[in-house]
Amino acid sequence: MNVTTNSGRLVRQVLTGEVWPPLADRHAYHVGPDGQPFVLPGMGGVTLGVHCGDPATGYASDHLEPGASVRHRDPAANMALQFLTCVGNPVRVESGPAAGQVGHVIGQHAYVLVDFPEPVLAQMSTGDDVSVTACGQGLALADHPAIVVKNCAPELLALLPGGTRPDGTLAVHVAARVPPEAIGAGVGMISEYANTDLMGAYAGLGDDLSLGLERLRIGDVVALADTDHRYGRAHRAGYLTIGVISTGQCMLFGHGPGPSTLLSGPADAFCLVDDPDANLARWLHPAPEAAP
Amino acid sequence: MTGPAPQPQPPRLVSVSLLGVVEHPALGESPYRIDIDGAPYVPAGDGGIVLGLRLGDSAFALRADHAAPGACLVHPDPAARHALTTYACVGNRAEVRTGRAAGAIGAVLGKRGEEGRVIIGFRQHDLAMMRPSDQVSVRGFGQGLRPAQFPAQVTVMNLDPGVLAALPIIAAEPETGGKLTVRVRTVVPGKLAGNGLGRPAAGWDLDLQLPPPGQDGAADVRLGDLVAVTDIDARYNMGYRRGWVTIGIVVHGSSPLPGHGPGMTPILTAPAAVLAVQPDNARHVGLTERGLKLARPEATVTGEPRGGM
Repeated sequence: MNVTTNSGRLVRQVLTGEVWPPLADRHAYHVGPDGQPFVLPGMGGVTLGVHCGDPATGYASDHLEPGASVRHRDPAANMALQFLTCVGNPVRVESGPAAGQVGHVIGQHAYVLVDFPEPVLAQMSTGDDVSVTACGQGLALADHPAIVVKNCAPELLALLPGGTRPDGTLAVHVAARVPPEAIGAGVGMISEYANTDLMGAYAGLGDDLSLGLERLRIGDVVALADTDHRYGRAHRAGYLTIGVISTGQCMLFGHGPGPSTLLSGPADAFCLVDDPDANLARWLHPAPEAAP
Repeated sequence: MTGPAPQPQPPRLVSVSLLGVVEHPALGESPYRIDIDGAPYVPAGDGGIVLGLRLGDSAFALRADHAAPGACLVHPDPAARHALTTYACVGNRAEVRTGRAAGAIGAVLGKRGEEGRVIIGFRQHDLAMMRPSDQVSVRGFGQGLRPAQFPAQVTVMNLDPGVLAALPIIAAEPETGGKLTVRVRTVVPGKLAGNGLGRPAAGWDLDLQLPPPGQDGAADVRLGDLVAVTDIDARYNMGYRRGWVTIGIVVHGSSPLPGHGPGMTPILTAPAAVLAVQPDNARHVGLTERGLKLARPEATVTGEPRGGM
């Protein structure tokens, strides 16, 4: 992205975490949009076969988290890991057969979500230690003071197409535009933690549930209309939020594929460019060779 | 035995005695929360006992965060707290068991989500004698309610049957096209629904991202108001479904927190084809202290006529 930033003044911190197991309780079932009881995998652990560029929906899954789901065992250290880690940060596997392999953060979902090439993921399991080189909180755009950067590694920002235009707006390429009716669970939460679930993307269910979002892909850069994520997650007419789809298929009602927030500000500070290729796969995956 | 088989009766509701403890407000090590424009603020009124705020007051009356008109009940055990919140219904009778206000009678006027809270309305002189840690029993009654005269597609939740007659709900009649009709303060588009989406309506409120009223008080929303939200299905979790409507009672005030606002406890959800709403921004009367039997009877009854069930 052709834009002036303060990236040279950001702190890089080494954080640790571990691949966290999927969690369940003895009641097992959750409830779908029409009252369907379901037991479906997707959240926590290592989820194989879904990567950036793949469809976000259409799986027999709930809260699908592609790749490895990472937490820290200490609650306060975990919050630091979740807040300080940014999309695009490199993650190195430190234990197990995949030790030494590097992937990239694609978002947060109460876990840090890390995409690795499939052969690497196939070697990973719950309990593997990882290191995150966290960098990005505090990133600011000198010529766009109204736009707040969230959870975005400076390296990723540099790779995104677009940038400052002669009219002073920031050009951002997006694969999809999301209407405000789609915003579901996650509204009201802080925008450095977890993500925003998009409703209206229950592939295969009723037409009255659809908001036309069934074609989203993992890693898509999307624009959320009338949404202010600068200091939390709110509906606000005239504001715009840019996010990256980091989670996929949900059966739980009011939930769905979720963008992690990258940029937010007044809509008139942005110039959106519709670009079907605006996906993390174009810049980060597979990219272990390119990692530091 | 001879004769016709007995007509199947709807299952009877179960009454459960629940115990709650009056909440103490709680904060983290930093006193600040951050508002939508990035300004830090100290959240006063978020839980516990709030004095001087009553049903009928504007949801924007106080400079506060999620302030509720009365005392919030919790339980020290998280699972018991969820059960307390889930089984308590608007209109349920509550009685103070310990402390200086022991014996005082209140009523459930709403519930809040996250870890769960039950909001109990009391007379102000009783509330002033209460303190956090007082025990309050709640007669949980209402989940499973299916009024026979409601259209089958209308789901009722979080409502004590004894409070139905005190709410502006008009029976489904041929002249209303067979629709259940409810008078509300306002109709809110679903895109303004906030915190509470994706959560179970039996245990969470739904925050409405509403702006404060204008200088003239227009578009105000008051505590106790019935409010309709379009395109929201609240039968299980609350979420988007085109052509549906959810009606709730406004149970707590506004919040500076992004994505929050006045919160409603859902009571009715259905396809709009069977549930009609009649907004009356100027004269609406929803849940009142009198409806909860918390006000002394008045010599003369004034105000808007209400439909009754």
